[in-house]
Amino acid sequence: MNSLTERFATTGYAAELKRAKDVLGEEEDGLDPMWGSQAGFGNLASGVVKFNIPTVPDPSAFLRMHTDDFADPSCRIKIKHGTTTLAFRFQGGVIVAVDSRATAGSYVASGTVKKVIEINPYLLGTMAGGAADCQYWETYLGMQCRLHELRNRERISVAAASKYLSNLVYSYKGMGLSMGTMICGWDKTGPAVFYVDSDGTRLKGDLFSVGSGSTFAYGVLDQGYRWDLTDEEAQELGRRSIYAAGHRDAFSGNTINLFHVKEDGWKFIGNYDVSKMHYDGPDNTGGYAYELRVEGKSSANPPVTQ
Amino acid sequence: MARRYDSRTTIFSPEGRLYQIEYAMEAISHAGTVLGVLAKDGIVLAAEKKVTGKLLDLSETKSGGYGGSGEKIFLLNSNVIAGVAGITADANSLVNYARDYAQRHLYQYNEDIPVEMLAQNLCNLKQGYTQHGGLRPFGVSLLYAGYDPHYNFQLYHSDPSGNYSGWKATCIGANSGTAQSLLKQEYKEDIAIEEAIGLVLRVMSKTMDSTTLGSEKLEFATLTLDAEQRPKAKIYRPAEIDALLKKHDLAKKDEDAEMKS
Amino acid sequence: MEVSFGITGKGYVLVAADTTAAHSVIKVKNDVDKIIELNPHLLMAYSGEPGDTVQFAEYVERNIRLYQIRNSLPLRPPSAASWVRKTLAQSLRSRSPYSVNLLLGGYDTSDYTPHLYWLDYLGTLVEVPFAAHGYGSYFALSLLDRYHDPEASLEEGIETLKRCIAEISKRLVVSPERFKVKVVDKDGVREIEL
Repeated sequence: MNSLTERFATTGYAAELKRAKDVLGEEEDGLDPMWGSQAGFGNLASGVVKFNIPTVPDPSAFLRMHTDDFADPSCRIKIKHGTTTLAFRFQGGVIVAVDSRATAGSYVASGTVKKVIEINPYLLGTMAGGAADCQYWETYLGMQCRLHELRNRERISVAAASKYLSNLVYSYKGMGLSMGTMICGWDKTGPAVFYVDSDGTRLKGDLFSVGSGSTFAYGVLDQGYRWDLTDEEAQELGRRSIYAAGHRDAFSGNTINLFHVKEDGWKFIGNYDVSKMHYDGPDNTGGYAYELRVEGKSSANPPVTQ
Repeated sequence: MARRYDSRTTIFSPEGRLYQIEYAMEAISHAGTVLGVLAKDGIVLAAEKKVTGKLLDLSETKSGGYGGSGEKIFLLNSNVIAGVAGITADANSLVNYARDYAQRHLYQYNEDIPVEMLAQNLCNLKQGYTQHGGLRPFGVSLLYAGYDPHYNFQLYHSDPSGNYSGWKATCIGANSGTAQSLLKQEYKEDIAIEEAIGLVLRVMSKTMDSTTLGSEKLEFATLTLDAEQRPKAKIYRPAEIDALLKKHDLAKKDEDAEMKS
Repeated sequence: MEVSFGITGKGYVLVAADTTAAHSVIKVKNDVDKIIELNPHLLMAYSGEPGDTVQFAEYVERNIRLYQIRNSLPLRPPSAASWVRKTLAQSLRSRSPYSVNLLLGGYDTSDYTPHLYWLDYLGTLVEVPFAAHGYGSYFALSLLDRYHDPEASLEEGIETLKRCIAEISKRLVVSPERFKVKVVDKDGVREIEL
């Protein structure tokens, strides 16, 4: 592998753990008063550890030079992206559905990526953009959420967790992070979904879809969405929406991972093959395919002859 | 006097006639008869062959190709067949032109050429040769049997002047007058292809000089629709023509067998 | 940000196109008709390079009329589509290609079948049950995969079209506010008010 990736993958990670421990140590001394129930709100200077970055004047340009496979197909590092993820709130909780394809340029690098990151039993994060960035920082977020629980004897709110992540990625703004994520969960306020991206945007909402296939997912999702969906209807809608994206977007597909967050935490509903959904459907009672749905139908209207 | 106006090219005579064209028509009236009948579910074409003889090599017609001996009936496009009467060499040139034009249409429009369009275009060409100096008109009349979605089955006739017209049943070549009056008597509206085949064979057997019909003197073709409603041209092979004649009781009698009985 | 849709149904094709004429960030006009009637049973929605669009549409219209006059036969939708494709493909290889994307909707009176064709400026031609050009396609195609019915009545077809328009109004940042909708069926072409 390229030496640059090694620096990111090994040195950076080891250094990161060490620094994280340092932060813990610092806080055990109670020196940081900001680690309160606000979950690190506005606390970035000492609460968020620093990452090793390339020692060049413009780290993001440096990174882009080596990773932008669109501008330079022969670049050495191809960041995996191309995704469809969605999450929506409804009467019965939160549905989180994602695809499982990872592409590097036009190459399908993997078809079995876990794009839902289980932050803790009540919190899920989705992965879009740089796979490594999402995985790393959402795992890190999980660590911070657990610390919050230990310190405050209560679970972190979805709002707070997402704000922590938002502030974290904002501190790296302009350095090449690429993340588009939904932090989903159930807290005292009920079901909650927050959209957080590496620009620093953080949005509360009922319904989001992120990734290259998101428009296709929106098309199906928006038209089928109601607050009073039943659990089954909601799960079907999530599944169908990701299927739609997997079908129409070349950079999404392979399989669907479906989660349902309720009051007692999230539950993994299942993994569904997009091709199987296309031809057979989730319970073999009929595929989602347009061609199957309209089989035998004709738009011709010849005059009726007696 | 007429010599002054007809020997060189297509110019009017003082009586307002174009002799070259009339001579071309005359050439056609001696050519092998071609007969076409339009049915509600297809078209039938039959033609009398003039180039015959024991020594003629007909092995090519028995298999391969699309059937027919290539003397009278031609496949112009997948939806059009044509019977020709007149100078065969001129006919070959027109057939080649028609095929080319039909393919150009297919290339541009991705559809089989409408039948009338093909006939019309050939007539434009033919007409040109009645007007431009120094050239001889085509000595060919054609019967076009075709199908298109605009007007379904159609039968057209074109002559050396460049005139064309649509018919339910018609005939060109030798004895065409007799054949036409026979057709006028016997043709019924909305006949089916099977009836039309019978009619064509009957009229042909009465029109042709020879007393008996056989594959060596006859070309035969039909245009129908296949199961997918696409036009299907069938130009009969010698064996199929003989079988058809036998079926309609018009086959040459086996004289040896008659002698024995 | 031009958007156009085409939807087939039982015996008809619906074609919708936005009505905006834009120059950079300015809406110059908001009642432009971008759907031309090529013949009594043929419609064409066009979008693309300003100037090219209308020039090309009228060129097609005149040529289709010429064909009809010359041959006393209408050009059927499949043949018209093939001819337009050929023309675009030739144009692409000329010194100044037309940058025009098209939806061609027609009703074939000889076999009672509605036809919808998707064409782009590269000379791609494909017959489809539903189609979209512009950013609308990213939202509408998955929606139509889910809701389109080839046997829908005109009323149902219009409802599906409204879904598409509602979706882009909801999700597209600079969505057009108005659409012109035309339908072609056995009775010919007419405009529909949504």
